[in-house]
Amino acid sequence: MTQSAQSQAQQPSRMLDVARSYGIHLVLLALIVVTAMLSPAFVTGNNISNMLLQAAPLGIVVIGQVLVILVRGLDLSVASVMATAAVVATTFSGQDSDALPVFLVAMAIGLATGLLNGLLITKRNVSPFLATLATMTLLQGMRFAYTQGAPSGNVPPIYRVLGSQTFYGVPYNLMILIVLATVFSVLLHKTTYGRRVYLTGGNPAMARLVGIHSDRITIASYVISGGLAALAGLIYSGFVGIVDNWVGRGFELDSIVAAVMGGVALSGGRGSIIGGLFGAAILVVVFNAVLMIGFPIEFQIIIKGFVIIVAAAFYVRKTI
Amino acid sequence: MTTVASTFTFLTKRRGGLLTVIGLICVLAIFGIVMSDKFGTASNASNILEQATPLALVSLGQTLVIITGGIDLSVGSLVSLASVLLSGITAGDPTMMYVALITIMLVGIFVGLINAGASLYLGVHPLIVTLGTGAILQGVTLLYTQTPIGKMPKGFDELAYGRVLGLPIGAVFTIAAFVLTAVFMRKVPLGRYIYATGDDALGAQLMGLPRTKVLFFAYGFCGLMASVAAIFLVARLGAGQPYTGQNFTLTSITPVVVGGTLLSGGRGGVMGTLMGVYLVSLLNNLLNFMSLSTHYQLIIQGLIVIIAVSVYVENKKRV
Repeated sequence: MTQSAQSQAQQPSRMLDVARSYGIHLVLLALIVVTAMLSPAFVTGNNISNMLLQAAPLGIVVIGQVLVILVRGLDLSVASVMATAAVVATTFSGQDSDALPVFLVAMAIGLATGLLNGLLITKRNVSPFLATLATMTLLQGMRFAYTQGAPSGNVPPIYRVLGSQTFYGVPYNLMILIVLATVFSVLLHKTTYGRRVYLTGGNPAMARLVGIHSDRITIASYVISGGLAALAGLIYSGFVGIVDNWVGRGFELDSIVAAVMGGVALSGGRGSIIGGLFGAAILVVVFNAVLMIGFPIEFQIIIKGFVIIVAAAFYVRKTI
Repeated sequence: MTTVASTFTFLTKRRGGLLTVIGLICVLAIFGIVMSDKFGTASNASNILEQATPLALVSLGQTLVIITGGIDLSVGSLVSLASVLLSGITAGDPTMMYVALITIMLVGIFVGLINAGASLYLGVHPLIVTLGTGAILQGVTLLYTQTPIGKMPKGFDELAYGRVLGLPIGAVFTIAAFVLTAVFMRKVPLGRYIYATGDDALGAQLMGLPRTKVLFFAYGFCGLMASVAAIFLVARLGAGQPYTGQNFTLTSITPVVVGGTLLSGGRGGVMGTLMGVYLVSLLNNLLNFMSLSTHYQLIIQGLIVIIAVSVYVENKKRV
C-alpha cells in the first residue's frame, strides 16, 4: 500500500480520535447553551449552585469508579456503601462531637467493602460484576436488618454544612471534590502507582512480566472506591438532610455512565478522572435540563439509558 | 487455605456442583421439617414451587444469555413493563386478554433482539447495553403508569392457584420449560452453538458457527421468558405494577451462578439453574417460617452468591 493511500485510510479515524478527545467538552457546552436558550431559569446563580451541590457527591463516587474501571473492573456496591454511610451518620447522637466517630465508622465500612471486593476479584477470580453485586446485596441486607427498615435520627450539623452550604456561592462539597480530583489525578499521572494502574488495566500480561503486583493495584482501586463512596454518602446525607435506606440510589449506574461518557474504557487502561468528571457534569446538566424544560421526570431515566449505550458505542474500538 | 480451596475445586468439578446444591436443598428441607411441623406439609411444598415460578422462568432465559458469555440486566424492567401492559391492555376484558398476551410476548422478544443487535453491531458489552435498555424500559413503564393498573378477567388467577396432577400449574409449566430447554441445549445444533460461542467466541466464529443467530436467539428467548414470568406474576397479584419486576434483574442471576453456570460463558446448564431457584425459594420460605424479616433474606442471598462464586472458580476471562 502506498503512503498516500495509507494516510487517506487513516483520515476518518483521526477525525474520530479528535472527536473522542474533545467531543465531551463540546457536548457539555452545547447542552448548556441549548438549555439556557430554552429555559432562562437554568442559568440563574441559584440553579447553578444547586447543580454543583448535586454534582459533587456523584463526582466523588466517579473518581473511585474510574480507578476501578481502569483496572478492568466495575463497582456496583458504591450506592449501597453510600446508603450505609448515611445510616451511620444518623446512628450516633447527631451532634458535632460525634462527627469524627461517624466518619471513622463509615470509612471503615467503605474500605472493608472495597477490600472484600478486591480480594474476591483477585484471589478468587470472581468477575467484578458478580463480586460487587454480592457485597452490594450483603450490605443492603445488613443495613435493613440494622435499621429495621426505618432509619431515624439526625445528621451531625457539620455534615449538613459540608453537604448543602456554600462559601460565597461555592459549595463546600465541590471544594472537597476538587481537592480529591487533584490528588488522585496527580497520583494517576505523575507517580509510578498511576503508571502501574494503567498498565495493569491496559495489558495485564505485560504488567505481570515487568513485575507489577497487579493484585495489589487492583485491590487498591476497589478499596479507594469503597472509601470515596463512604465519604460521598456522608456528604450526600448532609445534602438530603433526612436519611432513608436508599441514599445514593442509582449512583452505581450514574457513576458508570459518567465514566463511560468521559471516555474511560470498560476494557481497562484508558481514560482519566477529569474525563469521568466531565461525564458526571453532563449527567447532572441533562437531569436538570429535563426538569427545567418541563419534561416528565421519567425522561431522566430514559435519556440516561440512551446516553450510556450511545456513549459506549462512540468510544468503542474494534479489537479484532 | 490452599488445601481447602483445592478440595472445593475438586468437589465442584463437573457434576459435583449440582450435587452440592441438591445436597444443600435436602439439608435445608430436613432442617425445616425438624423445626416446624407445618413446613413439611404438601401445601407448603406446593407453595414453594408456586412462588418459585416467575423467578425460575426469568432465570431460565438468563442462563442461556450467560452461557453465551453475556448478561441481561434489562429483565427486571421488562417484567415490570410486560406486567403493566398485560393488565393495562386487558382491563378486565377476556377477548383483549389474548391481544395483551400476544403483545407482551412480542415486546419481550423484540427487546431481546434489540439487546442482541446493539451488542453485536455497536460492539458494546451486553452489560452496558442491557443496563441502558433496562433504564429505558423502566422509564417507559413509569410513563405508562405509576400505580397498579387494569385488571384481569375472572379465572385468570387459576394460572397461579390452579393444580395439575396435584401440582401448581406454574410449577408444571416451569419444569416442562426447563426440561425442554435442557434437551434443546444438548440435542439441537443451535443449543451446542450457544455453548461454543460462550466458550470461545473467536474460535466458534472461525469454525463458521452463526454467532449472530446464537445471540439473537439467546437474548430473544430471555426476553420472551421475562414476559412469560410477568404473566404468572400478574396471575398471582391480580394486576400489573410498575415496580413489580425491579428485583428480578439481580435475583435472576443468583440461581444461575449457584447452579454452576459461569459468568464467563460456555459452562453450566439450565438444570443447575432450576436447582438454584429451588434452593433460593426454599431458603426464603424457611426464613419466613423462622419469622425472620426479608432483610435477612438479602444478607443470606449476598452470602450465597459470595460462597457460590468462591466455590466455582472462574478460570477464564473476567466479564
